[in-house]
Amino acid sequence: MSERIQHRGKLITITIDGVQCEGSFGQTILEIARANDIYIPTMCYLTKVSPITACRMCVVDVKGLDKPVLSCQEKAIDGTVITTNNDELFRHRQNIMKMYDVNHPLQCGVCDKSGECDLQNKTLEFSVNSQEFAVKEPARKKKKWGILGYDPSLCIMCEKCVHTCNEVIGSAALYVKPGGYKSIIDMKFSRCEQCGDCISVCPVGALISNEFKYTANAWESQKVPATCAHCSSGCALYYNVKNSEIADPYNKKITRVTNDSDFNYLCGAGRFGFEFENIGNGKNPKALEKVVTAIKNSNAIRFNSYITNEEAKILQILKEKIGIKLINEDANNYKNFLENYKEASGHSLYTADSKDIESSDAIIMIGSRIARDNPGIKYAVNIATKKQRAEFIYMHPLDDISLQNKYTQFIKYEAGSEEGVIALLASYLTANVTNSQKEYFDDLDIGYLSGETSVGEEELESVVKRVHRRKNKTLIIGEDLYGHENGSNIAKLVGLIDRYTDFNVMLVPSSTNTLGVSLICDLDDEISVDSKIVGYNEVGDFIISGNGDGDFQVPALNQQEGTFVDLNKKVVNTNVAITFDGYCLNDIANEFLEETVKNSIDYTVQLPIKNGFKNICFDDLRNGYNKYGEDLRGYILEAFTDDKTDINIDEVSEINTYNGTVVYRCEPLHQFNKSTAKSLQLQSNDKLRGSASFATAAKIKDGDTVNIVYNNSITTKKFKIDTTIKGTIALYPTYGDGLNNDLIASGYRFKQVQIQKVEE
Amino acid sequence: MSKVYFSNWQGEVVDNRNVELENWTEVTAKLPVNYDRETQTKAFVGWDGFAIFQSDVDVVKLALNYARQYQEYSEACGRCTPGRWGGQILFDMIDKIARGEGEFSDLEHIKEISSTMTTTSKCEIGKTVPVPILGMIKYFEEQFIELIKEKKKSPWYELNSEKYIANVTAPCTDMCPSHVDIPGYIEGVRELDFENSLKATRQTMPLAHTCGRVCPHPCEDACRRGNLDEPISIMELKRVGADYETDHNQDWFHPDKPKKPRNDGKKVAIIGAGPAGLTAAYYLGLEGIAVTIFEELPVLGGEVAVGVPEYRMPIGKYNKDIQLVADLPTVEIITNHRVSADRLKEIEVEFDATMLGFGARLSKAIRCENEREDMDGYWGAISMLDKVNLWHKYSIGSPACEDLKDKTVVCVGGGFTSMDVVRCSIREGAKKVIMLYRRDEKTIIRNTTFEEYTEAVEEGVEFIFHSAIEKLIDKDNKLIGMVVNKYELIPDPNGGRAQLVKIDGADIEIECDYVIPAVSQACDLQILPKEWELEMTSWGTLQTNGKDYMTSRKGLFAAGDCEYGPMTIVNAVGQAKRAASVISRYIYDGKVSLLDAEIMEDHMSKLKVYNKNEKIKGWMPGLPREVSEKLETEVRRDNNQEVNLGFTAQEAQDEAERCMRCYYLGMVSV
Repeated sequence: MSERIQHRGKLITITIDGVQCEGSFGQTILEIARANDIYIPTMCYLTKVSPITACRMCVVDVKGLDKPVLSCQEKAIDGTVITTNNDELFRHRQNIMKMYDVNHPLQCGVCDKSGECDLQNKTLEFSVNSQEFAVKEPARKKKKWGILGYDPSLCIMCEKCVHTCNEVIGSAALYVKPGGYKSIIDMKFSRCEQCGDCISVCPVGALISNEFKYTANAWESQKVPATCAHCSSGCALYYNVKNSEIADPYNKKITRVTNDSDFNYLCGAGRFGFEFENIGNGKNPKALEKVVTAIKNSNAIRFNSYITNEEAKILQILKEKIGIKLINEDANNYKNFLENYKEASGHSLYTADSKDIESSDAIIMIGSRIARDNPGIKYAVNIATKKQRAEFIYMHPLDDISLQNKYTQFIKYEAGSEEGVIALLASYLTANVTNSQKEYFDDLDIGYLSGETSVGEEELESVVKRVHRRKNKTLIIGEDLYGHENGSNIAKLVGLIDRYTDFNVMLVPSSTNTLGVSLICDLDDEISVDSKIVGYNEVGDFIISGNGDGDFQVPALNQQEGTFVDLNKKVVNTNVAITFDGYCLNDIANEFLEETVKNSIDYTVQLPIKNGFKNICFDDLRNGYNKYGEDLRGYILEAFTDDKTDINIDEVSEINTYNGTVVYRCEPLHQFNKSTAKSLQLQSNDKLRGSASFATAAKIKDGDTVNIVYNNSITTKKFKIDTTIKGTIALYPTYGDGLNNDLIASGYRFKQVQIQKVEE
Repeated sequence: MSKVYFSNWQGEVVDNRNVELENWTEVTAKLPVNYDRETQTKAFVGWDGFAIFQSDVDVVKLALNYARQYQEYSEACGRCTPGRWGGQILFDMIDKIARGEGEFSDLEHIKEISSTMTTTSKCEIGKTVPVPILGMIKYFEEQFIELIKEKKKSPWYELNSEKYIANVTAPCTDMCPSHVDIPGYIEGVRELDFENSLKATRQTMPLAHTCGRVCPHPCEDACRRGNLDEPISIMELKRVGADYETDHNQDWFHPDKPKKPRNDGKKVAIIGAGPAGLTAAYYLGLEGIAVTIFEELPVLGGEVAVGVPEYRMPIGKYNKDIQLVADLPTVEIITNHRVSADRLKEIEVEFDATMLGFGARLSKAIRCENEREDMDGYWGAISMLDKVNLWHKYSIGSPACEDLKDKTVVCVGGGFTSMDVVRCSIREGAKKVIMLYRRDEKTIIRNTTFEEYTEAVEEGVEFIFHSAIEKLIDKDNKLIGMVVNKYELIPDPNGGRAQLVKIDGADIEIECDYVIPAVSQACDLQILPKEWELEMTSWGTLQTNGKDYMTSRKGLFAAGDCEYGPMTIVNAVGQAKRAASVISRYIYDGKVSLLDAEIMEDHMSKLKVYNKNEKIKGWMPGLPREVSEKLETEVRRDNNQEVNLGFTAQEAQDEAERCMRCYYLGMVSV
């Protein structure tokens, strides 16, 4: 046995370049050096994945050892004395750079990466100014992989892209094709989801976006820090903005989106869905008058959760001022769910964030087609399945092929039976725990519930067995549950699981700022049929729109300053990428107030403290990541605990079976809303998609145009057979639908409909 | 000992350059002087130097081809900068010299690049490829300088007469009877690419769940990390890839895409569906060759299934390994088919080749007084384990606790089988379980594993060392007790082997209900037709040359315990893989041949790749070897839950990061 038994987490001290550095056992030398601001050069090190060890630049000397060791992988041992740089180490690093530079095409003048290229930086740092030997170069063919381009002659085989694709994204599409000097990166294209994280981590110009190629130089673009507006992951990004014309300095365009790829990730929507700025038509007082009149004559404002906290606050103030109702079904359902969850769990906010998910070794997910609903959560779950080899139990009426290499157990339940499923889950998970709801669980008719939900008792026993010896457990709840007619009771059962087990819970907010809106606004349930409605980016008699349609133009989300609340319960800020020439919601609100409020962001300090917001000004909020990988944006919401235990759970209601033709509201990959619909690079796909069995049952064929009828509302879509979908439920997209009254788009995501083929 | 013209292998410099052939001094290492029966080797280049066996070798071309082979063995390199670029630069610089365009500065570049490669490369290939090259430049400097000065080509540059055959190995790979690509699958674990990890294992070993759990891991005794601090926990890391495939219900990760069924009428018979039979079937099946396995028992898996208990090797996992083989389209398996000598004669005629893998399943006798097989209470180990496992794993038969509950059981043995017997006896409810072993604790640990012994002690097995049964005591043919002699180890005053000497008057009498001898197993030779007069070993197994595994009868092959004697699973796998390779050619050309890769494998084994005296540089010493969590004693004593819980993700990653990736490149020139 080893003489010095070290334990993970034990405090250690090492000396680096004469400086005493503290760390804990389990950390690498590089991690401790970086935490103490000591520089060790690296080319292949990517913080968010496991050490790649390809470049060999980070070798350091350890006192007492004859040869240098690799600092990115070697764990630090208490008491060791390390030198990061000396003549010999410099010579080796210089040789490595000479090797990297061998035959590297001298095309810095036209290469997209020029100016932000790690090869340029290190070539300069290690004074490599000539190539003294010739090496025979093999032919290297450029590749086009959809929107991605790969030039192997520029590739330094750092393998960052391969690691990201496997460990973070989970596609495992990119792989190393070894061959000595002929080695290249290759791709299994069918696995690629075109997210573009590979191009963001590539340190040189080998992996690029074909669309961006040759359009802008790194130094030309201004990087505007912002938060992605498409889903509640709220990933930090930079809109790269460049002048469009020499003549007009105000005419700018976003050339691309970048991010701090060492630390965070972006999905395809965030990375390629940026062309959604709105064109204003100046400030016309007459137009302003019209919208003010419309509001005065309306009963309600209907809006969605693609909105900043500040603008939500403005709507709330309008409500308080003039008594207008606020309709936001998405946030209302979520708010109701959160409140009932709070009642049962005692927590004002749910307890897990995405870092908790990444470090989980047991995850149960229910109620979401996560790969489409929220890519950020999918990546976090993937990281857990790789780094923690987590048990991942995925529960949904629809299997998802893209999750098959991630989940360890798939449980199919019947559409509509979520309340029964959650009751079963709660019963099995709290079985050996003393809890105040024991009577409730004893009274549950397990056999009946099992039969109606189609979730077998052996399946539940398997779940219990799988999570039994695990230490960090997370329960992830998705949007399907919020819109369920028994959502309130479901929420309480989820709250019970939180209270009585060691599971942390995440209630994934369905839309970008669902959580924020639910904490800021008093929302109304119903309005009478003959109400007059102003729609804010939504259906209405008068429509205020940031999308370029409607009756009155306001800025889109990449043209606003403000904050969102992301799924990490963090208030995250965003900035203006393109200036909007026109009015915004604040200008409209000012028409109703005695004192004019200058900027929307003046409302940031007015967000309700009782719901966890803080008294911090927008201008005091920072942006980006620091060099330690900490997200500097915004602040985390305050959460409150309340330990009362007199919880009242209702009996599980009779479970409605969903027979006949069932569709599921679900957007295609990387599409979320009308903003992403505008993107030139994201694939548009607004067809109804189902399996061949669905087509047979619905008596339609691939390519047919069909009417989908639900409660007297008819929508028309083209139908396409998608062989990756299993079962007999079809996917119904709504993201780009424009301003029509689509009942399928609202409420519970599963709908029983009739399908009629439209004859040509 | 090997006769050389010149060698600097492993620091032993022997220079016979100006010496008459008859007076050539030899080196101690077993270098591959003869490539095979027909061919002599001209030179050998490896990770610790080079050796030249003839006086007229073109050393520059030798160096050039070693550098070229480095580029060709792509799986092992291209993963780090000094390896990928450095290797190509080395090659191009030497080629420049070899074709007559060299400069003296090229020699300096070679030395400079070599220095960075030996110091910073990711694996040992990158670090050691420059070693013999620099050695050749040092000791045969005049050959290089002549080419540079005279701007002329090296003597053999234009010739195509020599063949350069290379082989990538590693000390652990070499020690493994199945030559598993251990650094490869550990790398897969390290980079969280479990699919590649499993594929690397399956190149030479299909039973990843099994050998990731129940192997005595000889590789770990040849692990270079052991020279630095502690060997890598190699066995534990093997199951990570297999668990990934099973947990996520993936399609089988075959090492290469299985070839289409050949359907050319050729077919191979395999007797026994144990590890040897399954392995041979797998590799023949991957080639698309038709295979039929004849299995005597109603279940598949051989001794691993019916001998190794559930708590060590869960049948659910082994069945996955078996399914991998059974799912191949050209593999057919027939159970409940005991092959007699007559049946074997029929099979031999019907098939193009037959491989015997029937194992060793007859329990040997203790050879004590009053030993009778028909005595009530005398239970052979194999038969006892059969009953235990057929019941618990397949619900066949009846539970052994009906026999053993509350009884006193004495087992005689000291190997893996005896450990299985005693630990199963505990689980079947025996009130007292004793193991009698002739030698001492240290030896029993060496013959089994530290983990196995420790867990047995924790579960309550009583070990009595230096003991042997003198006689069994029965009453009306029912065993009631035994007389046990005690021994002591008397060292030889002349320095020879210590002797076990019986201690007079130290006999003990033990009351017991069962005696279960586990003193090795013999092969059931009824299957072999006497008229074939097959050559046998002195211990009753089939004789082969240990390279091609053909018995003395043409077309009849043997692998596993029936060839070697009772041995490990991995030994059976390794032999069967080699046999399958030979068979795949034999059925077409009727010849027994080895691939160059296999010849090189055998040469490396003879040379011995692991050097226990080597001092390790470039790695941080003192990182502890990870140990996986085991189920608590109270929880596991009375049931068959798997005891070894395996590594957590963090433990697996930490352990994989300790691996030094000791790939080596060896090359011969013939």
